[in-house]
Amino acid sequence: MRREAPRWPTRVAGVATAAAVFVVGVALLARGVAASNAAVGLSDAAGDALAVPRWLYVATGGAAIGASALLAGFVTDRGFVAAIHRWRRDLGGGRVRRAASTAAGVVGVALVASVIYRGFVGPQVSTVNFAVVVTFAGGRAGLTMATYLVGNVWPAVNPLRALDRLPTRIVAYPDRLGRWPALAGILLLVWVETTTGVTSRPDVLATAVVAYAVVAVAGAILVGGDAWVRNADPIATAFRFYGRVAPLAWEGGRLTASIPGMRLVPDVDPDGNVAGRDEGGNAADRLVSGLDDVAIAVALVWELTFSGFVTTEQGAAAVRAVAAVGIPPVAIYATLFLGGFAVFYGAFLGAARVATHRIRTTRSPRSLAVAFAPSLLIVAAGYHLAHYFGFFLSLSPSLAAALASPLSAPANPTVFTLPAWVSALNIAFVLGGHLVAIWVAHSTAYRLFPSRLQAIRSQYPFVLVMIGYTAVSLWLISLPTASPAFLG
Amino acid sequence: MTDDNATSSPRDTDESPTADAAYVCSDCSRAFHTADLRVLHRGVRHPNALDAAEQEAYREVYREEERAIRSFRIRALGVLVVLYFGLLFLYVVYAS
Repeated sequence: MRREAPRWPTRVAGVATAAAVFVVGVALLARGVAASNAAVGLSDAAGDALAVPRWLYVATGGAAIGASALLAGFVTDRGFVAAIHRWRRDLGGGRVRRAASTAAGVVGVALVASVIYRGFVGPQVSTVNFAVVVTFAGGRAGLTMATYLVGNVWPAVNPLRALDRLPTRIVAYPDRLGRWPALAGILLLVWVETTTGVTSRPDVLATAVVAYAVVAVAGAILVGGDAWVRNADPIATAFRFYGRVAPLAWEGGRLTASIPGMRLVPDVDPDGNVAGRDEGGNAADRLVSGLDDVAIAVALVWELTFSGFVTTEQGAAAVRAVAAVGIPPVAIYATLFLGGFAVFYGAFLGAARVATHRIRTTRSPRSLAVAFAPSLLIVAAGYHLAHYFGFFLSLSPSLAAALASPLSAPANPTVFTLPAWVSALNIAFVLGGHLVAIWVAHSTAYRLFPSRLQAIRSQYPFVLVMIGYTAVSLWLISLPTASPAFLG
Repeated sequence: MTDDNATSSPRDTDESPTADAAYVCSDCSRAFHTADLRVLHRGVRHPNALDAAEQEAYREVYREEERAIRSFRIRALGVLVVLYFGLLFLYVVYAS
């Protein structure tokens, strides 16, 4: 490709600005945590004292992401890149599927019924109540981890899965709405989990589960079960998105294994078109087909960052400081939640816009954002592991005891105390998620652009955004935990 | 035009990036900003539709791209070395 004459003043200015932003960002973090290093030493919570200054630890994480992106650029063989994300191993067929699906459905109905029953009837102490332990340790942590590590089992386990066979439909689902209702549902569920008492009061949790079921049935009757599950059900949507990361899936009636995360590389037809939402048979294979799906992927990343932030000492202190001025805490949390989501979403779309202008492509920023959003799901999976792995591990004996005897509460629920090296695992999960996401984005870029240099250069703005996400996430998981201010 | 029709809405306010893309692929009507990009696209996506002259042009552009990639690799390696040793010295100073 003919190279343009380098415009030195512009490029120097660009590099200088980026370097200045980086230095200022690190300095801000350093100043902000100078007070907290003392707090880390004094507290006996999960955060252990870092052996290096926090700014150095965060900068190293960001540098790891940038370095991996550069290293991914060394791989330029289109055939090799394609071979990795196309690899499939066929594992078996349909007879086992029906039996397993029925068994899973029975288990799902039994579990949810028990959650509702024990939530209302059982002891109203969250650590021994079947409902709370199973929903959060089993569902929020364990089932989600199984979804992105092994495969999506929610369509089988969902006790309301018969909804999509309901014959009633009052109105046709307006296509213009797309999956925005699912996004709203996910944000609402995270809000409920954070600010209401569902994690500590079993009766509130049981009420919430019943309310969700009522809304799901009403929605299915209103727009048709299939349209509801595909477009508006937040839990089914979240599990479907996470499930794409997993190596196992049913494709064409057969269980197939792929390399983890590689099913997120979008299909591109022989002309180079990324298939849209309304195109016939292959529409079901397209996970992300519009900006609403991009927003869902960003929301899955953001909600972990948000809940991570409010459960740290610094987060709680910040909220208390703002509340002392006179703003009601709910308003503070709402602003933080929605404002932070808007920042994360805007950063991703901004990266798409910058990439489009820099690499002289005729693809629109919207199509770039849609094509690169699936790699965010691997980032979300890594963040989820980092935030919930220790939680799940330490509560696993409680979960086992609750599942073994659902109708009687254990007298002495046991939890595991985690060794210090588990926090190092969390850092590995955050970085590992980003590394696999970088590879998926690299593969996607190779499918989108005819020039390999275009593909490599298209990644720079996205890598900068990912470094930003990494810095925030690494900073959060190094902070000592505390209960959120004014909540629960 | 291309894939954007299926996903763009009347509210889409992105300026059209195809406004000054003069080089159009004759097989799939996708537009490109330079002739080199179109040749690369046709070589990757429609390899069987290339005649001899186009094949030669594709090889020429591919070789030029290889040179540019080699230059990128050297610069990337340089950045990696700077990053590595920079962090190493930071750790020597702050973590000992």
